[in-house]
Amino acid sequence: MSTAPTSEIKARSFGLSSARPRFVYLLITVLGIAAFLYPFWLPQDALPNSAHAGDAPLLAALVGVIVLAALALEIRRGTMNGATVAILGVLAATSGLLRLLDLPGGGSGIFFLIILAGAAFGPRFGMLLGLASMSVSALVTGGIGPWLPFQMLALGWMGAGAGFLGIVTQRMEKRLEIILLAAYGWIWGFLYGAILNLWFWPFVRDGGALSWKPGLSFSETLQRYWAFYVGTSLAWDAAGALANALIILIIGVAVMQTLRRFAHRLEPVVILR
Amino acid sequence: MSTVEFRSVTFSYPGAGADSPSALIGIDLKVLEGEVLLVVGDSGSGKSSLLRCVNGLAPHSTGGTFGGEVIVGGRSTRNHLPRDLADIVGFVHQDPEAQFVVDRVEHDVAFALENLGLDEASMRRRVEEVLDALGIAHLRDRSPATLSGGERQRCAIAGALALAPSVLVLDEPTSQLDPQGADDVLAALSRLNADLGTTVLLAEHRLERAAPIADRAIVMSRGEIIDGPDTTAAVIGRYPGAPSVTRLGRALGWPELPLTVRDARATATRLGVDLKAPLDQRPARGETLLSAKDLRVDIARRRVLHGVSMEIAAGDVIALLGRNGSGKTTLLRALSNLVSATSGEIVGSASIAYVPQDPGTLLFAPTVRDELAETLRLLGKPRDEGAIDCWIESLGLREVEHRHPRGLSGGERQRVAIAAVAIGGAQILLLDEPTRGMDAASRAALELAVRSHAERGGAVVLATHDVELAARCATRVTVLGDGEIVAEGDARQVLSGSLFAPQVLRVLPPFLTVEEVEMVIAE
Amino acid sequence: MSETQEIKQAHAVRSSWHAVAWLGWALAAAMSVQLAPSPVYIAIIVSICALAVETHAVEGPFKRAFPALIALGVIFSFIRVVLAALTTHIGERVLFSLPQATLPRLLGGFTVGGTIETGVILDALVAGFTIIGVMAVFGALNAVISHYELVQSAPRAFHEAGIAITVALAFVPSTIESVHAVREADRARTGGRVVRRARSLRLVVPVLERGLERAVSLAESMDSRGFSHGEPARGERVAGWLGLAGLLALAASFVALIGRSTDSAAIFGLCGGALIIAAVAVASRSNARARYRRRRITKADALMVALAWISPAALGVLTIYGNDTLTWSASPLAWPQVGLIPVIALIPLLAPMVRRPWESVIDSHSNELVTP
Repeated sequence: MSTAPTSEIKARSFGLSSARPRFVYLLITVLGIAAFLYPFWLPQDALPNSAHAGDAPLLAALVGVIVLAALALEIRRGTMNGATVAILGVLAATSGLLRLLDLPGGGSGIFFLIILAGAAFGPRFGMLLGLASMSVSALVTGGIGPWLPFQMLALGWMGAGAGFLGIVTQRMEKRLEIILLAAYGWIWGFLYGAILNLWFWPFVRDGGALSWKPGLSFSETLQRYWAFYVGTSLAWDAAGALANALIILIIGVAVMQTLRRFAHRLEPVVILR
Repeated sequence: MSTVEFRSVTFSYPGAGADSPSALIGIDLKVLEGEVLLVVGDSGSGKSSLLRCVNGLAPHSTGGTFGGEVIVGGRSTRNHLPRDLADIVGFVHQDPEAQFVVDRVEHDVAFALENLGLDEASMRRRVEEVLDALGIAHLRDRSPATLSGGERQRCAIAGALALAPSVLVLDEPTSQLDPQGADDVLAALSRLNADLGTTVLLAEHRLERAAPIADRAIVMSRGEIIDGPDTTAAVIGRYPGAPSVTRLGRALGWPELPLTVRDARATATRLGVDLKAPLDQRPARGETLLSAKDLRVDIARRRVLHGVSMEIAAGDVIALLGRNGSGKTTLLRALSNLVSATSGEIVGSASIAYVPQDPGTLLFAPTVRDELAETLRLLGKPRDEGAIDCWIESLGLREVEHRHPRGLSGGERQRVAIAAVAIGGAQILLLDEPTRGMDAASRAALELAVRSHAERGGAVVLATHDVELAARCATRVTVLGDGEIVAEGDARQVLSGSLFAPQVLRVLPPFLTVEEVEMVIAE
Repeated sequence: MSETQEIKQAHAVRSSWHAVAWLGWALAAAMSVQLAPSPVYIAIIVSICALAVETHAVEGPFKRAFPALIALGVIFSFIRVVLAALTTHIGERVLFSLPQATLPRLLGGFTVGGTIETGVILDALVAGFTIIGVMAVFGALNAVISHYELVQSAPRAFHEAGIAITVALAFVPSTIESVHAVREADRARTGGRVVRRARSLRLVVPVLERGLERAVSLAESMDSRGFSHGEPARGERVAGWLGLAGLLALAASFVALIGRSTDSAAIFGLCGGALIIAAVAVASRSNARARYRRRRITKADALMVALAWISPAALGVLTIYGNDTLTWSASPLAWPQVGLIPVIALIPLLAPMVRRPWESVIDSHSNELVTP
């Protein structure tokens, strides 16, 4: 068994090195948001007859799956070294298990590690970690269903956003960085709940005043959704958001320190003399 | 042609400062085809770095500055990544738990084959061959999480061997294993070397088992090769951390130094040894600190301890011996109240502290000093710099007191964990497998600390597989078998005439250690 | 460590149907729920799911996914019913009246309380049944499927992504073990006493450190075993561009939808989907790596899925021909009707039950199933 020796080692970079992946990630985000938010912009006459309107949520889930497939295509040979996969693996396993942890007030432990790791290792890693954590959690706890693409994308965005935030905050003073990240976690406590409700909100149209009706204007839809959100999730999510922020405030500095100690393994700097 | 050649290799880790393990300086080395080369040296001597250079893990995966050249199978690691060398070098490291990509043995073995794009039929054939070569075919459907350490390590070797590499590199493969597991792994290695002609590079701390299977050896210190390559007997004969039998031969001035008990016995019979019996200076036992009566413990509806009674007195160092699963750890956990006994009672008011097997479960503070202070804080005591200094001194941690506990070597970490638990002021210390993965320097520091704690009127219980440790510091020995005490009493009495006998006792009864022999000679 | 054991067991047992076949079956069942949302038919589908779980699920945490997801569905539905009853007022069939209050504009500006109406409650209840039905179908899927097999059977285009998930799953047992060990070490340090202050820090950091240290070891093991060996094939690069084109087409489809041009939206959407599927196919084909002992989808598996899809197909035909028992509405109030034909149409969903749940003999020398 022999392998053709590679004559020279190419400059190795595991970030978004060329333009295409960046463009793909951007498109995935735009499309994902469009698929999530269709109740807000979809005109009534786009749905030819009301019997078919029931397929809209399934169609949105399908778009979610396709978008995820396009994203997974970008994770090709050579885009991840062993360290990225292994560190991604252990963090995804940990945060997938942390989700099982019921925190007081309906919070869940899946958020803080993704936010901190995203901030420590960058947007791409944060996105992948969000996706991987959710898949692991679904596989371990039996959570596979049409809601999964929504959950995965939402967490992926959260991780990617934390990565961008991390680029800004990494030069700051430690405490300040953690406070900003805690605030970010607090906001996402609400955002995640709001995004997740969207997968089933339009699913059932019982004619109630708080449910989706195709063809309403944007502001009417938003108002209905807001009322629905207030009624079903606000208190719950507020507790979760608070839990996120508190966890990050309490253990953020130590966890960030730990994570950063391993950062050099992800993109090893090799000097040949 | 598939030998390994180092040409004036220098290497340092990224951001090399006081905190990083020492680098390599000007290494020149030729590994011969088909040999077993043993690499010895203390922690931080550069053993691991040297081994990682063979397939380019250093510098390509670790990062760092690399000079010189390593040629393996005609390819230079300067322009070949580890993955491009997978077909000529297999790599196995010490942690048997952290080498599995897939949660099922045979699929994990096939991982390398999938990466290199073999077709299905060849994969099937290779996997069967490798499983047979390591004798693990019966484990193929198991999850590594359900295997013993020795079995896991053999599975990891199978994974490294799947591509039939001509060189196998192992970084302390037995340091985390019990004696049985270590024997299995080394026997497998020696068989592979004999049957397939695989070149083996092996780093080890514990030389009792590894030295006999090696053809040549080198000694490393501070990033340089300070002895060898030369025949194992010659190098180990000069090495301070040699196995007890070798040091015994040295003490007795034998012309040829033995590496195994067998050789030593033969030489002893041939040359004849005439020494008067050692004096037993072990002090009488002090007052009883704690006594356990008829302890029974059930875990997951299975009885693990069947009525164990023991007494711990001031000044005792009790070695708890027994194979894996004989209930040693459970007994320690029951004594320290981490599991509750189903029946039986523990009488005594002495305070107890338990140091678990893996020091990594305990350490989280930013420096060694803070780690010790943390225990005081948890116990609601004021930060006492004097006490911290005392324990840092007693466990020989002065040099590393301001470093991150997690960045230390295995032996140093273990000592930090012991100090961090002991500083709480417990009279009785329970240490679970404290010498696992320790180098000679750490072992010496640990033995000293154990003895001095006992001399100050405390007591220490060591659950261990390390008979040499038991021989050197235990006053009493308790042997557990299947959850019952099968032998108990004075260390020398119990160890003599048992299969657990240390090397020196097997060659020259009733001596337990080389130090005893040396003392008698000095008289 | 019973959790670890249970997860292990669930991994080791081999279902008589391929994971992908179960997925196909679940999609058919979910589609049927959509097409026949009348409570009667949903009840029938839920019973079929329960039967599948009873016969084909392994004891363990995954089996509990079925009741857990149904319970989740019931809770969701209940909240919706309460909300609808409190906020929706049509003015017919008033059950009773409550004092009412109008919420501030900031919180949606709705009137809460007032008249509570039977029709509204029933409508919300019926709608809730759909949620319960979908939850039951996917709960059953999670209970019967081998998750390990599902990851293994991802297309080859997703090889690297699949490895990331496989590695993560392999870390799950050791992480659970780590949590136990660290918790115990924490107690041991203080002589058995539990100190609550800053406990999370003392637990999270060592678990994370241990995990990351292991990850570094694993990374070295992966690198030295040829992970990511070789250059990307030409097809993989082509697939990247195809994927991008697909995403652009999908984006165009959304733009067309906003511009109310339904037809072009449909065409763009189909094109986008097709391009991405093509990209996956191209990447899979050019990725020459074979997989070790992968379980193949047999003819029997395909046949089972085909049988199951007869149900949604038949229900679709019934919908077009206007079978009015399929849906049920509370106004005018009447008992839900049962049609014989729709009930017959649901029978094919029983397809997985034709086989024994577990293979009694796994032929260790062949990947193929021994068909009974």
